Formats: sequence, structure tokens, C-alpha cells
Amino acid sequence: MVAERNEVEAVAGTTARRPGRPATRRNRRGSRAERLAPFVLLAPAVLIIVVLRLWPLLLGVNFSFTGDGDRNGVPVGFDNYLTLFGDPLFRTALRNVGLLVLLLPVAVAIPGLLATFIYLRVPGHRVYRGVYFFPAVLSPVIVGAIFTLLLAYDGPLNTLLGGVGLGPVDWLGDPDVAIFAVVGVHVWATFGMALVVFLAGFAALDPSLLDAAKVDGASLPQTIRHVIVPALTRTIQFVFVTTMIGMLTSMFGLLFVMTGGGPEGSTYLPEYYIWVQQGQFNQPALASAAATALFLIMLVVGLAQIAVLRRAGRED
Amino acid sequence: MAGRRWTRWLVAIPMVALALATVYPLVFTTNVAVKTRREYVLDRFSLADSLRWANVVEAWTSVGMSRYFVNSLIVVTCSVALLLLFGSMAGFSLARLRFRGSSVLFLGILAALFIPFQVIMVPLARIMADAGLVDTYPGLILAYVAQFLPFTVFLMTSYYSTVPPEIVDAARIDGNTVYGVYWRIMLPIGRPALLSVGVLNALFCWNDVLISLLMMPSAENRTLMVGVTSLRGQYSDDIPVFASGVLIAAIPVLVVYLFLQRQIADGVTAGATKG
Repeated sequence: MVAERNEVEAVAGTTARRPGRPATRRNRRGSRAERLAPFVLLAPAVLIIVVLRLWPLLLGVNFSFTGDGDRNGVPVGFDNYLTLFGDPLFRTALRNVGLLVLLLPVAVAIPGLLATFIYLRVPGHRVYRGVYFFPAVLSPVIVGAIFTLLLAYDGPLNTLLGGVGLGPVDWLGDPDVAIFAVVGVHVWATFGMALVVFLAGFAALDPSLLDAAKVDGASLPQTIRHVIVPALTRTIQFVFVTTMIGMLTSMFGLLFVMTGGGPEGSTYLPEYYIWVQQGQFNQPALASAAATALFLIMLVVGLAQIAVLRRAGRED
Repeated sequence: MAGRRWTRWLVAIPMVALALATVYPLVFTTNVAVKTRREYVLDRFSLADSLRWANVVEAWTSVGMSRYFVNSLIVVTCSVALLLLFGSMAGFSLARLRFRGSSVLFLGILAALFIPFQVIMVPLARIMADAGLVDTYPGLILAYVAQFLPFTVFLMTSYYSTVPPEIVDAARIDGNTVYGVYWRIMLPIGRPALLSVGVLNALFCWNDVLISLLMMPSAENRTLMVGVTSLRGQYSDDIPVFASGVLIAAIPVLVVYLFLQRQIADGVTAGATKG
């Protein structure tokens, strides 16, 4: 591959120095059609993205200010947003978003620490990456289905806990527990993704930094705090943002399979609320208001994270 | 020195435990899938007496998993082919052809990357319904292409940016048209990136449930993942058949993972290192 590339480069080097060919008629006609070539090559992608991603975004914001049912298409101002924030289910969904934001540092720290250990070559370091990464390729539906079995009230996890004398926990049936169970499963399924990103960051790390820390007699926590975290700021930033996006937009499959938003609506997230309003209750305008709210939440959380992390990065 | 070694082993213990926790759920499911219903009710953990494939056969035939499997296969194949074609065309154009407005277009595509599907789901459903594309293969394929195209274009653009521009110039001087350069030079050169992006897109499409639920309402058009969710209601009292269905849906992904793990990881990390 490399050899091949060098060869072509060498050829390019010689031909580029050759004076330009006289423009023949055929060449000139070709160049006219070819001036459009960059646009022709881009056309399918741009067309699809504009019509099926950017345009719907505007359409959705517009929908959110119109009514549902009898008032279909009628402008209703902020009515949908009032309904939305008056709905206990949506308020639960927002509270759960807050919970996710609080849990975010944990969800980032776990793969970060594991990647650090793998990088520092704990025994068996060659095996972990492949093992940890594998649940990340499974569909949330598969993961959710497997964990409904494992977390059932009469299921294996409770049997195991019973074996060491701990009472059974109604993992998916207790409104105070279910959201944590679902988030836990989500983290189980996705930490490998962040781990791989961290390892890629480590691969670009200058090893002499770590050697210097070792020579200075730094402990592991000191090394992490003063060497690894500052060197990986960009990677950490990336993982924070992608993990947050993942938590807000890729738990639908888990919720759909594991809890259906229950018990008592305690595991609702905005994305699930949108689906229920659109798919079950046929209230597209209300669903659009929820979608717009979700988009704003993501924008705010994303920008806030970048701001916070950038400041943290500067302090070091 | 000895102390260091000792802490290393101490760290290894939770890591091994975690590795087991990562693998165990699938092992458990596989074991359940080959058990009889009676065996499962009596003891969840015991190893199955023998490898019985009756449950798997039942899930495959009578529940309709075979049909869902074929649906998924058709949709994923077409979606990935279109994604790679459109993505590489756009990537080549953005990375290696000079024209006015290219950076604006690239930024627009990048912005689309940050629009989650849930946010545009409602209006998209209406657009698709107006176009008569709901409950059709082309409709679902188009929805997938739209969903994963920004990511594909982004990765192909950053890959093609690493290709020396002299290659394009040389091929042009040799008399190739721009399209010729794309077809004869850029597509073959792009193979490693196309493989990585292709595998990742195939996983995304295969694993999706939300887009499929929205675009394919009727039962006979279900994709495999939606099929698995319906399995749960049907077989809530026959867990081994349910587990078999889950296993059928997971096996293709596991096979792909075994052979293409590195390409998948490359695709995942490309955004972090190049973004």
C-alpha cells in the first residue's frame, strides 16, 4: 500500500513539472462538463441530507407550534410546550436527564480508568480490549432482551444475591430502582466504545512523559492526575460529549424492551416520550415540541460540557 | 518493584471480574436457548443436558424469524451499498476537488451529524408518508442512508484528505475525467476506509430498532430487531424459545465482530482522532 502510494507520487512528481498540454477541442469540451463534476459527485449526499435531515429539523420546530387532532395545522403558539411541561411523564423524563448528567462522570471514568490500566499493561492486558468492546456491537434490543432475563424478579441475579443472603431486588419493577438498572445496563453495553477511544488517545501519548513520572516516583493517582489527564484533554472531551449524546439518544431500544417507560413512568426519557406521543397517541405536534426540547437540551449540555472541560484543560 | 507488581495483580482482579461480567450474559443466554422449558424452570444455571436445537428451529420457523432475517439482510445490504457510494463520492469531492462553497457544504454536513434521529423523527415520518414510502423497503433504506450519511461523508472526507493530491493531478494528466479518477483511483484507494465505515454502518442498520419501527409498521415487513421485541410478548412463558430468537439475531453480529474487530474500532475512533 505504502509502496504503491510512493510510486504514484513519484510519477506525479515527474508529470507535474511537464509543461501543460496544449488544450485540444476535446479537452476543452470535457473541462466544461467537468467543472460541474464536484457538484455532481456531491449531489446525492447533499440532496438526501438537506431533504431528510436539515429540512425536517425546521419542519419539526414549525410543527411544535401547531395543534394536534382537531386543531391539526392550526397555529397554537406555545400551547404544546405548556402541555409538555405540565405532563408529569415529561417532567420525569427531564428529571431522568438530570440524573444521566450526574452519572456522566462515572460513565466516563470507568472506561478511562480501565484504559489506563490496559495501557500500563496489567496482567492480561492484551485480552481485555477485545472482550470489553464486544457488547458495544450488540443491538440495545439484544442487550435489553438478555437483561430482562437476568434481572427478572425470579431471575439469576436475584438467585445469586439470595445465595449470599441479600434480599431479592425488583430491578425492573421498582420505580426507584428501574432507571438505575436501565442506565447500568446501558453503561455495561457501551463502556467498551469509550474504552477504545481512550486507548486510541493513549496510543498517541508520548511515552517519555510516563517514564519521567516513573523516575520522579509518582504514584498511580498522581500520574493519572498530573500526566495522563492533561495529555488526554481532547480525548476526554470527545468521550464526554459522545457518551452524553449516547445516553440521550440511544437508550430507546433498552427502554422499549426492558421497561416500556414503566414502572409508573419512572424510566421515561425524552426520546421515549417522543416515540410514545408520535407512535402510540398520534400527537405529532406534541411530539415535535418534545423533540425540539430534546434538541435544545443536547445543545445546552454539549456546549456547557465543552466550556467546562476547556476551562479545566487550561488550569492544568 | 515487588510492590508495583503486587498492585498490578490487585488491579487485574476487578478487571477479570468485569471481563467475566461482559461475557457471561451471552453465555447464559446461549445455555438457556438449548435447554428445555422444564430444565429452565427447575434450574436457571445448570448446563443444558445436551445441545438441543429444537428451540432455535422453532424460533427460526414458526415465529417468522427467518422472514425478519431476510428483511434485515436486504435492507442492510442496500443501505450500506448506497452509503458507501454516496459517501465516497462526496468525500472525494470535498477533500480533493477545489470549488467554491466546499467548506460551507462540509460544515453543513457536519452539522447534520449532530441532529439525533429522535429530533427529526416526527416530520420525517410525515415526509415519508407523503412520498408513499412508509412500509416499503426503499423507504426504510432511504431513512437509514439519511441517518448515517453525514457520518459516512465525514469519515470518507477525512480519509481522502490523507491521500496526496498529486495522485489526482497525475491521473488527470493521464487523461482521466474527474469521474474516471473517482472510479479508477479513489474508490480502490479508499478500500480500508470503506471497509471500516461499511462494517460500522452495517452494524448501525442491523441493530436499529427505532427507525425500523417507525418506517415499517406492518408485521411481515419487520426487521430482525423489531422481530425480537415482538418475540418477548409472544413467548413470555417459553423463555428458551425467546432466548433462541435473541441468539439468532446476535450471531451475525458476533461473527462480524470476530473477524472485523479492528475495522470497527478504527471507525469508532476515527471521529476522536480526526475531529
